[in-house]
Amino acid sequence: MNRRGPLITLGSVVILAVIFLWANTVAGKSATSANTAAGKPATSTAAAVPATSSAPAAPLHALYAGRSSGDQVTVAIAVNGGKAAADLNSGQASEVSLQGSVHGSQVTLTSPNGEGLTASVSGPNMFGTVTGFLGQSFPFSAAQAIVEAVYTGRSSGNQVTLAVQTQGDKAAAYVCNGRTIEAWLQGSVNGNQISLTGNKGASLTGSLSGLDMFGTVTANAGLSFPFSAQLSPHPAGVFQARIAVNGLATRIGWAVLPDGTQVGLAVAGATKYPAPTLDLANGSFTLGGASFKAAPVAGNETVVSP
Amino acid sequence: MTSEQTAVPLARDQYAKPLVVALASGCAVAVLLGVYARLHHPTHYALDVAGFSSPLYAKAWLTTVAAVFAVVQLVTGYRITHGAAQAWMLVVHRWSGRIAVLLTVPVVVHCIYALGFGAYSARVLLHSVLGCIFYGAFVAKMLSLVQRDKMPRWVLPVLGGVVFVSLIGLWATSALWLFTTKGVHS
Repeated sequence: MNRRGPLITLGSVVILAVIFLWANTVAGKSATSANTAAGKPATSTAAAVPATSSAPAAPLHALYAGRSSGDQVTVAIAVNGGKAAADLNSGQASEVSLQGSVHGSQVTLTSPNGEGLTASVSGPNMFGTVTGFLGQSFPFSAAQAIVEAVYTGRSSGNQVTLAVQTQGDKAAAYVCNGRTIEAWLQGSVNGNQISLTGNKGASLTGSLSGLDMFGTVTANAGLSFPFSAQLSPHPAGVFQARIAVNGLATRIGWAVLPDGTQVGLAVAGATKYPAPTLDLANGSFTLGGASFKAAPVAGNETVVSP
Repeated sequence: MTSEQTAVPLARDQYAKPLVVALASGCAVAVLLGVYARLHHPTHYALDVAGFSSPLYAKAWLTTVAAVFAVVQLVTGYRITHGAAQAWMLVVHRWSGRIAVLLTVPVVVHCIYALGFGAYSARVLLHSVLGCIFYGAFVAKMLSLVQRDKMPRWVLPVLGGVVFVSLIGLWATSALWLFTTKGVHS
């Protein structure tokens, strides 16, 4: 009796494992067949009538964010016209960027290192599979995000730094060189086109392409710079503070890059001086011995006084 | 049994065969699990256990309960090895072990079937390797128990120790990591 105990234990473990494996296989199969059943009509419709507007096509400009079903990978996909770009992140310092195209409702992306992503757009959702990432495949689902995004970058000659915050079809931006040039801009995003204006002839026009924004920014001094900016994660953003320093109404702006680099100016009337360093953890900064708070600027905020 | 053993003391070499069989089986199980986990195409789909916010948390809690039973194993196993165990301790040792291992089964099936052998970070690699070692050592220990009269005295405590350490390691690289990074909840 004693001697059989361990074998019974071993046997029951094996049996339980087999039962679970079988249950998973059955459940997995039904899930897969359900997916194919749901996916097929959309695919064939898109293939049959790609030109008609009734075909389920991806929106002209949209961002999708989601994660793999096992929660291992976060997926961010930007769709712009026929182009798409994606960012995969496993949260373990492995990040991959993919580029690709959109045909009807189908999105296909690849990276130079062999990672791939295929997905189909279904209403406000995107379903698909990431392949070859970390040597594995991950099915994922992503939902169209209310486009609240930050693009940061520099002019091609490195003269100015800019941060553009979008929210839906609204956008606000701050352009600055940290010494003399600065401009607040606001406007709208239409499809993949962004158009912002500010005081004294300041403007920004650009187009979104994948995770990038390319365009021209004109600071109030009448200086125009071509620029490129990228979709940027925290702590990137546009920050501002309106405070009184020694009785002078002062407005401070910061363009913060994802690596924490800050470019900002404090403006009090005709006086301009470099912005104090912002504590990105809580938005606080010190000026003239007093402590103040700066706030992140939302894309739909009014930053240009009429 | 004991009288038999004292009557005919076993020579050193007689230990060899059952021990080799047990250890070889354990190694084979460990290697097979690892190879299968590596080769099987991960499905990322597995049955959910009801009552938890995600399969990840269900796994974490099952592993945590198993780890608690493993501590019971350590305490009772220590007493048994030193011949200081009451009869009820043998029962407790046996059943806590069975429950602990059975609790890990749904977890390992999900790990292997849905995720596979991962090596993309030190934590994941360690977890994958420990998982293989755990079941290998468990099989070796069960087979050693069957032939325990023919085993050197150190075999069971050592194998039990390996099973215990690997399970605690598995818990630390999964459940503990989850709880510390994403919070303790169900």
